[in-house]
Amino acid sequence: MSELSNIISAVESHHRFVEDQVRRARSDPHVGEELLRRWQQTISAIPNTATPTGLRIPRLALPQLDEPGEIARYIYGEGLPGEFPFVNSAYPQLYTHGNGQAKPANGNGKADDKMEEPTRLFAGLGLAEDTNQRFHYLTGHQRSIRLSTAFDGPTLYGIDSDADGALGKVGEGGVAIDTVEDMLRLYDGFDLGDEHLSVSMTINGPAPAILAMYIAAARRRFGLQVVPRLRGTVQADILKEAQAQNEILFPLDECLRFLGDMVEYTTRHMPRWYPISISGYHIAEAGATPVQQAAYTLSNGFTYAELFRQRGLDVNVFGPRLSFFLDCGLDVEYLVLARVCRKIWAIGMRDVFGAEPKAQLFKLHTQTSGRSLIAREFRNNLTRTAVELLLAYINATNSCHSNSADEPFTTPSEEYVRLAAHAQSIVLEESGLFKHTMNLFGSSPGMRQLESVVEAAILDEFRQIDALGGVLAAVEQRYQRSQIQLAAHRYEQQVHSGARPIVGLNLYRAEFPAPHDMHIVRTPLRKQRAQIARVREFKRRHAKSAGRALDRLEHVVTNGGNVFAELIETVEYCTLGQITARLREIVGCHRPVI
Amino acid sequence: MTNATAPIRVLTAVPLCDGHDSAISSINLELIHHGVEVVYLGYNRSVRDIVRAAIQEDVRAIGISSYNGGHVEFFSAVLAGLRAEGAGDIGVFGGGGGTITPRDAAVMQRRGVDRIFFPGTSLAEIVEYVKIRYGRARRGNRVNGRGGSVDRAVARLITAAEERPNLKSARVIGQRPHSAQHTAGESKTSLVIGITGPGGAGKTTLIDELVLRLIRSNASLRIAILSHDPSVIGSGALLGDRAAMIHSQHDRVFMRSFASRGQAGGVCAATVPCLHILRDIPAHAGVPPFDVILVETVGIGQEAMPFAPDFVDATVLVLSPDYGSRLQLQKIAMLDVADIVVINKSDLSPAMTASAEVQRRLDVNARGQRLVTTCAKRHRDAGVDELFAMLWPGSRRCASREPVAVFP
Repeated sequence: MSELSNIISAVESHHRFVEDQVRRARSDPHVGEELLRRWQQTISAIPNTATPTGLRIPRLALPQLDEPGEIARYIYGEGLPGEFPFVNSAYPQLYTHGNGQAKPANGNGKADDKMEEPTRLFAGLGLAEDTNQRFHYLTGHQRSIRLSTAFDGPTLYGIDSDADGALGKVGEGGVAIDTVEDMLRLYDGFDLGDEHLSVSMTINGPAPAILAMYIAAARRRFGLQVVPRLRGTVQADILKEAQAQNEILFPLDECLRFLGDMVEYTTRHMPRWYPISISGYHIAEAGATPVQQAAYTLSNGFTYAELFRQRGLDVNVFGPRLSFFLDCGLDVEYLVLARVCRKIWAIGMRDVFGAEPKAQLFKLHTQTSGRSLIAREFRNNLTRTAVELLLAYINATNSCHSNSADEPFTTPSEEYVRLAAHAQSIVLEESGLFKHTMNLFGSSPGMRQLESVVEAAILDEFRQIDALGGVLAAVEQRYQRSQIQLAAHRYEQQVHSGARPIVGLNLYRAEFPAPHDMHIVRTPLRKQRAQIARVREFKRRHAKSAGRALDRLEHVVTNGGNVFAELIETVEYCTLGQITARLREIVGCHRPVI
Repeated sequence: MTNATAPIRVLTAVPLCDGHDSAISSINLELIHHGVEVVYLGYNRSVRDIVRAAIQEDVRAIGISSYNGGHVEFFSAVLAGLRAEGAGDIGVFGGGGGTITPRDAAVMQRRGVDRIFFPGTSLAEIVEYVKIRYGRARRGNRVNGRGGSVDRAVARLITAAEERPNLKSARVIGQRPHSAQHTAGESKTSLVIGITGPGGAGKTTLIDELVLRLIRSNASLRIAILSHDPSVIGSGALLGDRAAMIHSQHDRVFMRSFASRGQAGGVCAATVPCLHILRDIPAHAGVPPFDVILVETVGIGQEAMPFAPDFVDATVLVLSPDYGSRLQLQKIAMLDVADIVVINKSDLSPAMTASAEVQRRLDVNARGQRLVTTCAKRHRDAGVDELFAMLWPGSRRCASREPVAVFP
């Protein structure tokens, strides 16, 4: 049942393959000479670039090797950037956009104008129009338009702002979205069909209904022809919800069915959309170690691939539409975590799922660790985030979000959001570390050592999960959850004992209380009540059509049609809460495992 | 009157629309290792669920871990809910990392929250606080007939019985001497069903699904659940059934979670006195008695027979299909006395074999025992419908096919 044992075998057999190639390179003079020739050719094709002080350095850093065995080990074991198994990078070019007129490093990459800025900023506060305003403010600081959306608690749990007990949480920590009309307000003023615009929505349990609202809103504004041009990501990773984050509305099997319907629809009708972002971030934030984060994220990814394949979807169609999202904290494992993930993913997808190169890529978004930030002397968080950003870029992440220093106690204020964005510019544009040579830090002896230790630990985790019957069986036995809880508890004890030093908390702790003068962003109750009035008015206006729309939805759910396609119609008349309630009647509720 | 050595009981929960259970899970673990009995309600829980559970479980305090904002409103609503039910003596404490600012905390404490823990507080500090603040004998521990809800009165009597299980219920109850005359066999107004089986068979889920059907089958029916979980050797207990029993968090359901406190056999010393209380008190309080009382045991071993003959009206033994070999099956004592045997988790591959083997065993017994196969985790499972119809033959079938709002 579980493909994990096949993945483990594939990684092990890849190791044997690499060692065979090393031996051949050393024992067969023809092979050795060919490798040396190829290596010299690659190195001589690397363009140089000039630093501001006038030094000329190569755009790509490769080890100085004159021994065929080591060349084989690099080429087959790590791969040049953009080459299997993608240890160094998923793409042949990275971060060096706009610096010099150099051609792609190894001659077969994308042109420079396809490169994008990696900076992403996550925003969501108050009502849709408030977040819209924040989006316009943020994109004023960016060359490209990347709207990364956070939702409030009621939205994440699929209930309406007027639900019992929601008052106080409406617009807190994210934007309140109840209806397609809120969605229209949220992205007002942005051209959703523009190829330089992408939208990401961090939502999971109600992801199908929310994406349906997005499509319906875009359709209203730009007509039907906009749908295939829509570009962006919806998180929709329900496995990690069942393991760590707990935003899950229906029984897991039903959630996976709705997800499959959505993936089938978007891969068919929205070729530029990423319908799932397989996320370790929340697993790590819940307390997992870096190795657990990587192992659970990868095994979840392989499980999705297996499920979509079972539905009859082509791995080469859905594979390139999968993307990943990892946490980057201060633990030493983070120096290599993404490098190891890219390798295991590529081997598994190629050798177990038969995927072509573009479906082998572990495309990664990284966010710096929220958990590593603390409220005491919170300005230290600027430094923590800066170090994490360095680690993320050393790992060749494809995009990155840096946390605001004030996040431990509030929705980020504009001041600290701006500082967080600037931190990325300082690392990437001000400093010379990433803009001249794309992989200045890659493949150091320390990295290689760490990589093999981390990789072995990840495979050990795979073995555990496989022994329990695979990811879904392990979830049901609450394996991942209990492991994460144990790790979280151990972390707390280490903080308490001082084994894990945290400046300002258990090291150099100053005896003064947390500052009172910090600027807290809250959504005033007046605004929350306005949203409540708005959703009630929507319900009144659609009272007649809502019931019929929900009945049609129920018909599709019970008769096995594509639920997502129907949801795009349902959201014209129904609120998120109405949809969630009806789906729960039909398929049941998620029963928490503690 | 309160036994000084009785463990402190607290309820912990994460508010509505909030799934951040990492901190509270660590705190739960630390509390139980220091002798506290923690009733854990789980995440995404409403004010009403928290207040109801705290009163029914008669805890000394509620610990709320809130990370998604709205804490001032939420904590205030919990306090108001407790006071409205005459349970203002139940303490409320909490935390939320840095999301609760000192200014918020000041407002919350003015409104009656005992303590907000800020980031950087060690687990040891929290445990210490709980043990000192909520370890004292509580004032006014006599049952007060006025000002409190029925749930409150019942819950306080159960606590008295739990802390002094060896006293006769009459003396525990004190001002209600006539209830001593009642015995288990006398009152037939409540149907008592004992549900037992090994750990991991799915008893909790099955009970919750039965409760859902009971609630829907009749708009006035009242249900009580006595749920048992093991104590950790030499320390407290994590009583987590409520977190998974989503349908049972309902105003017509009275649920009480017991820690075994060292008692072997599947129930605890207070179970029988508590059954008496549940049968008698609602009538005294002028409300209809519980129609159904469900007793869930701790996960039991092969030899256990947790229910004395006139303890319950019917017994249900729940087994998972992976009980092992036929030889193992022969050793399960409850198979000879259970009225109904349930093979749950029918989606597992050995389910067919298990049903056949158990049926053969029941045929040999020739006592009219019945067998049903269920998959309780499945929504509207036909097997659970069948079990429901066996237990309550008069009820409408397929009662599960009606809307219910589980979460607000």
